[in-house]
Amino acid sequence: MAQILSVEGRPQVLANPGRLTRMIAPAIDLPDYRQLAPEVAARFERIRKRPVILKVHELEKTFGEGPERHVVFDHVSLDIHRREFLTVIGPSGCGKSTLVRIVAGLEEATSGEVFLDEHAVSAPGPDRGMVFQGYTLFPWLTVKRNVMFGLEMRGKSTASAQSEARSWIDMVGLAKFENSYPHELSGGMKQRVAIARALANEPRILLMDEPFGALDSLTRCKMQSYLLQIWKKVDVTILFITHDLDEAIYLSDRILVLGTNPGGVREVIENPVPRPRSPDQAISPEYLALKTRLDELIHGTAEETEEEKLPMARMTLAGDDVE
Amino acid sequence: MAAHRDWLGLKMELPPRRRLQLTILSFVLPLALWSAISYVPFLWHPLVHITDPGDSEYFSADMDVPRADFLSQNRELAAAGQKPAAGYRVNPVYLPAPHAVVRAFYTAFTTPPRLPNEPWLHESLAHSIRTITLGFLFSSIIGVPLGILCGTYRFFARLTEPFVEFFRYLPAPAFGALCVAILGIDDGPKIAIIIIGTFFQQVLVISNTVRKVDPALIEAAQTLGSRGWRLVRRVIIPASITDIYTDMRILLGWAWTYLIVAEVVGTMSGITYFINQQARYRNFDNVYAAIMMIGIIGLTTDFFLAWLGTKLFPWKRRRVAGTAKITPWLKFFPSKAAPKSSPIPAA
Repeated sequence: MAQILSVEGRPQVLANPGRLTRMIAPAIDLPDYRQLAPEVAARFERIRKRPVILKVHELEKTFGEGPERHVVFDHVSLDIHRREFLTVIGPSGCGKSTLVRIVAGLEEATSGEVFLDEHAVSAPGPDRGMVFQGYTLFPWLTVKRNVMFGLEMRGKSTASAQSEARSWIDMVGLAKFENSYPHELSGGMKQRVAIARALANEPRILLMDEPFGALDSLTRCKMQSYLLQIWKKVDVTILFITHDLDEAIYLSDRILVLGTNPGGVREVIENPVPRPRSPDQAISPEYLALKTRLDELIHGTAEETEEEKLPMARMTLAGDDVE
Repeated sequence: MAAHRDWLGLKMELPPRRRLQLTILSFVLPLALWSAISYVPFLWHPLVHITDPGDSEYFSADMDVPRADFLSQNRELAAAGQKPAAGYRVNPVYLPAPHAVVRAFYTAFTTPPRLPNEPWLHESLAHSIRTITLGFLFSSIIGVPLGILCGTYRFFARLTEPFVEFFRYLPAPAFGALCVAILGIDDGPKIAIIIIGTFFQQVLVISNTVRKVDPALIEAAQTLGSRGWRLVRRVIIPASITDIYTDMRILLGWAWTYLIVAEVVGTMSGITYFINQQARYRNFDNVYAAIMMIGIIGLTTDFFLAWLGTKLFPWKRRRVAGTAKITPWLKFFPSKAAPKSSPIPAA
């Protein structure tokens, strides 16, 4: 399915895709990222017909007053449909975490509203599950008790909370570790527990704030594929924050790109890469086309991204065989 | 190089055997110094214990005199052709030899008190332990919940902490006379002084500890549907309980300091009374033994509490290093390591 691109006749392994895309993109005729294959277009058609789970209306966040006033973002509006996977991407400081924290009810918007199933929300609640970058498992509870936490908060009996928690732990493949404490788990395992804990509450939407940001890149790839498998099995809508282009493309249906100066939505892109996703697609033309576009939106066009030379005095007497 | 790293690695933990060796050495070194001063005559021994006064008019048998006086007296006696005094060099009575103190550890318990209404040593110790336990308990019953409230709700912190901050600078012993006037001369004022000394620190220390709870844990709990009092009970208290426990261990150490002050208020009582009486009788071996007993009781209590902590808070077992700053002793208790997570499936 994935079309292999080659430079000078050799198949290329995308060791450093960001750089490579920038190199290849001008040389190869990439398709328009807005052009959707018929089956992809049909899928978006089906998504649009589903009810809207989360509606964000004219959201604005500012800090400070008067001349000190700093607008993080304004006029952010978006609808997320049932079982849609939407990623928010943007450079650091664009307020993507702030956005998801406002949706979670952990921060207040300066103006604008957030509706969940047509009800305005302002405080945190179990209908919006959240997975944080820092795991945030309760260290004094075992894996099972961590997953049971939300169920008990909703007033379930210990027995039914226990059996429900077990099935969620099974789903993320940690049945053997249900009686372990968080400090005994690896980062990826902790994050799987955190996902199970959030999903056990059967939230309407799962908010994920750079959940794999603290993991090494191999673990991150595995977690991304786990997440897609989980998303397939569970009736859940996902709002996913990331700064990683590949992660955004690999996971999402739509991608919302936030910018800085001025802050706000740059573009909402329908992901042209067909599902089911696999890492091989990273070298398909539509993937590269989308990635080139995201790269432009976030890092600026090729001319703008000329690396800045540091005003550094020469501090070595060694030969110039390093660059 | 390797050996150097084993003993003097920068900020590196030592191997268990080395740790044990150094711990033993930390007690052996002061003891060796004490023994040297006590048993090697020429190191110090500034006095002479007279065995035979000879023809001296000033000396009498069993008298301790400075060595310079002894020598000049003997010179005078020799010049006058009289019989010189005889004696041997000793340390002052306030520095008994180690073996005398060791013996006192036993004899202090078996020697009946001189006066019929005086308490035995074990009674004095029990009295002290009862005083400190009651004082610390009363202080904690109010202090711990108030500290947790102040750490959780800014309302309570603003309402109480400025006053508590002021009050904690008032030295507890300053309230001695007042406590006696209000509570009489028995145990009441003593317990009150321990409470005054402990309570205000306790509120501040514990509220600070609770304030340091990772806000991300609280946010996570909120997104899981936890609110209000349940959030305090299910998240804030368990998240800070191990640190509160450590705080309590440190505070108990302070309470011992206030105990000695408290026991001289009103009628002197407990271990302080024993120490004072023994010093009056010039039984300094008993004085040393009693002071060391306080140290031993304090250390044993802390030792026990540290061990109890590893049982109460199993999730902290791997993080012994944090508590170890206060009690390196804890490491000698091999905590049962939680089952090692065997082959971790690819995360």
